[in-house]
Amino acid sequence: MELRINGTNYAIADLGDTRPLLNVIRDELNLTGTKIGCAIGVCGACTVHIDGVAVRACQTPVNSVVGKEIRTIEGLAADGTLHPVQQAFLELQAPQCGWCMSGQMMTAAALLAQNANPSADDIVTAMDNNYCRCGTYHRIRQAVARAAAIQQERNA
Amino acid sequence: MSSNNTPKRWRISRRGFLIGAGSTGAVLALGWLVGLPRIRLAISDAAEGTEKAFSRGAPKATPTQWFVIKSDNTIELYVQKIEMGQGIHTALAQIAADELDIPWENIRVIAATTGSAVDDPNGTGNSESVVSHYLPLRQAAGTLRDMLRADVASTWGVAASALTISDGVIRHNDKSMTFGEVVAQHKGEWTVPETAPTLKSPDQFRYIGKAQPRVDLPAKIVGDAKYGHDMRLPNMLWGVVARPTQFGATIASVDPKDAASMPGVVSVIVEDQFVAVAAEHKSQAMNALGAMQITWNTPQPLLQQADIDAATTVQAGSGVIIQTEGAVDWTGDDVIRMEFRSPMAVHAHLEPQAALVDVRDDGVDAWVSTQVPVGLHDAIAEALERDKTQVKVHPVYLGGGFGRRLEPTLGVEAARLSRAAKRPVYVSWNRAEEFRNGFVRPPTHHVMQGKVSADGTITAIEHHFASGDVLLTIFPPAVGTFIGWDIGAARGAKLYYTASTGKRTIGQRVALPIATSFWRGLGLLANGFAIESMIDEMAHRVGMDALEFRLKNLPDTRFGERMKRTLTAAANAAGWGKPLPAGRAHGIACSADAGTCVAQVAEISIVDNQIRVHHVYAAVDAGLVINPTGVQTQTEGGIVMGLGSTLIEQLTVVDGTFSAFNFDRYPLLRNSQAPDITVVLTGGEDDPGGMGEPPIGPVAGAVANAVFALTGKRLTTLPLAL
Repeated sequence: MELRINGTNYAIADLGDTRPLLNVIRDELNLTGTKIGCAIGVCGACTVHIDGVAVRACQTPVNSVVGKEIRTIEGLAADGTLHPVQQAFLELQAPQCGWCMSGQMMTAAALLAQNANPSADDIVTAMDNNYCRCGTYHRIRQAVARAAAIQQERNA
Repeated sequence: MSSNNTPKRWRISRRGFLIGAGSTGAVLALGWLVGLPRIRLAISDAAEGTEKAFSRGAPKATPTQWFVIKSDNTIELYVQKIEMGQGIHTALAQIAADELDIPWENIRVIAATTGSAVDDPNGTGNSESVVSHYLPLRQAAGTLRDMLRADVASTWGVAASALTISDGVIRHNDKSMTFGEVVAQHKGEWTVPETAPTLKSPDQFRYIGKAQPRVDLPAKIVGDAKYGHDMRLPNMLWGVVARPTQFGATIASVDPKDAASMPGVVSVIVEDQFVAVAAEHKSQAMNALGAMQITWNTPQPLLQQADIDAATTVQAGSGVIIQTEGAVDWTGDDVIRMEFRSPMAVHAHLEPQAALVDVRDDGVDAWVSTQVPVGLHDAIAEALERDKTQVKVHPVYLGGGFGRRLEPTLGVEAARLSRAAKRPVYVSWNRAEEFRNGFVRPPTHHVMQGKVSADGTITAIEHHFASGDVLLTIFPPAVGTFIGWDIGAARGAKLYYTASTGKRTIGQRVALPIATSFWRGLGLLANGFAIESMIDEMAHRVGMDALEFRLKNLPDTRFGERMKRTLTAAANAAGWGKPLPAGRAHGIACSADAGTCVAQVAEISIVDNQIRVHHVYAAVDAGLVINPTGVQTQTEGGIVMGLGSTLIEQLTVVDGTFSAFNFDRYPLLRNSQAPDITVVLTGGEDDPGGMGEPPIGPVAGAVANAVFALTGKRLTTLPLAL
């Protein structure tokens, strides 16, 4: 069985089961940038992209994503350049402990891919299912708005 | 992680500094000891004074923190303070880099492995990392700078005073040497100067007081930073442990069946109250544990929430008076009496705790998500019956701490499994275990009584609180029985308003049959809620503005002036007293903790019968601010975490277990529920105050007082429900 993650093919054991993608990413492939929080799909710490769509890796059976493009936080920066979301989260000094941030940034990146100019309401709606226990929500909102601006500057 | 450049031998200077004898001449290491929290040790007697404090028998002439200067100009700062989101590594780097006068990019903060020197016995908590390090760190950095200056002066044959230092370069006329070059070219032993360094004056600060970016964020935003749960070793096994699902349950019997021969299983341990499996894959370990027949003894009758509430109740005449001034008299019609309650809560740090332990014949290495590496070091050594010098605990980043990771035994399970399997073993907790098998914030009950004169003077006030244990849980039970009150539960409980005839605070200990302990701020949130709601009610009874009433009744002391200035700043930021849009109201509250004053104004409305907090305006006097962004983000974080408790969080007991064991039934505050936050800094002088916990103090009171202003309803139970 093979998974394509961040443009690289990884051979994984075909145990014939539907073990969560999250367990494969973190525990078998040691891509530990993707985090675990609740394992029931509530907190959003494990958010990754499947064909560009933000999904919960803890709720995604591994056999359902064979042949699809999986992107994790390790693959968000391209050619050594931070993704606009990463640059903005750094500029705003949004992370505190940082544990939820891979999921926050993957969610934000998926939003910006489909909505280059999100309104304040769009941002809250998109980010509302990602918990942050350190309480950085207000900076996350500012950072996502800033990321949209960076993306537009880069595309100009 | 950090031992490569650790000098193994230290010798002590006359001034109590410790010089590292590196294996090559290309490294200079200077260490020093930081004493117990809040004791600002004069650096000159640091060694002697601290050795007495280390009753656990620390070896002589070894530092708790140290610098290493390398020939490439990098200066490493080794500390055992744990970075869990509070920005401590950045703040400590700012303090050191400032006094050393080096380029910002030249300093690296490294969390020191236990046993590489004397260990920091204090762990990371109590909002005191900056408070306890500020002066010792500057004095050590200044001494190091003076040593380099003296060395160059001697080489060049000029007076040290003729040299200038900036950006890590020592200059005289057209000659210059970098710190790294000085170290690389030095011959012979280093000497610590006899005189204390002249420290910079505040107007010379270049990093202190500046919004320096966090040193740990570049790795965190690309997913490279390693937390405890991320640690892996080649050849490691996955461990799982049988844990009870009900309070106080113990293992009655175990039938391991054929677990040991199941696929991937390497080790099965069945010992008294410890049943665990290590296997090649986590699913294999879980399958094996699941196949074992374990029966549990559960205490009867099953504990219920009514039992908790009944126990956590203030009893008149009970408790210990912990603050008393003048006399109080609670007879008469003019007594204002109010009761408040706060529930149990979990820490909900999003990173579940984990431990990776490698037990070998030649030593033990442990990577553990902990705030107290030293405590774990001792616990693992004891469990393995190994000498402490053979155990190394490697600090890691934490995905939130909030007090939960002060537990002193994490890592023991993985150590026992690793010893049995003779391979590294990793044990992580799942969310249900975090809810059920750790400890929680204790429930509290408060009775406030007060009298106020018509002119708005508080004449008498009393706060009697009952709380489950916080700090007493780390002592033998007899200590709690003897003392009768919990100093942790009393954080923020004492009354700092003046009272013309008298005031009193009474602490009452509640020993509950469930594990309660540290949670961010300890008693601060609940006590602040009770006191600041009562103050608001007293203002209301005499028809006085809530801000004016506080300003009138705060003392004319230096503390009182700080708090008044902070309250006024928060009120000004919020536009206190000015008209608000229809359906909105302001509430104000303040608290003091860890040397820091905080005031907050909450702006709320009611939407679909739910409290909606739109904006919180906070003012903070944290004394000398090292990093304004750090103070702001800690304030924002404390407010949001406190708002969770104010609005939604509540853990209850049902049939001998908790009502929730994941976020489906214990939701946290979401982005859409989190307000915009304005933070105003009002301090700036003196020494730094703590920041990790103080901002959580006022938030519940500020929101409850805003609800009262809007609706006339005085809500007295957390979480607030209309």
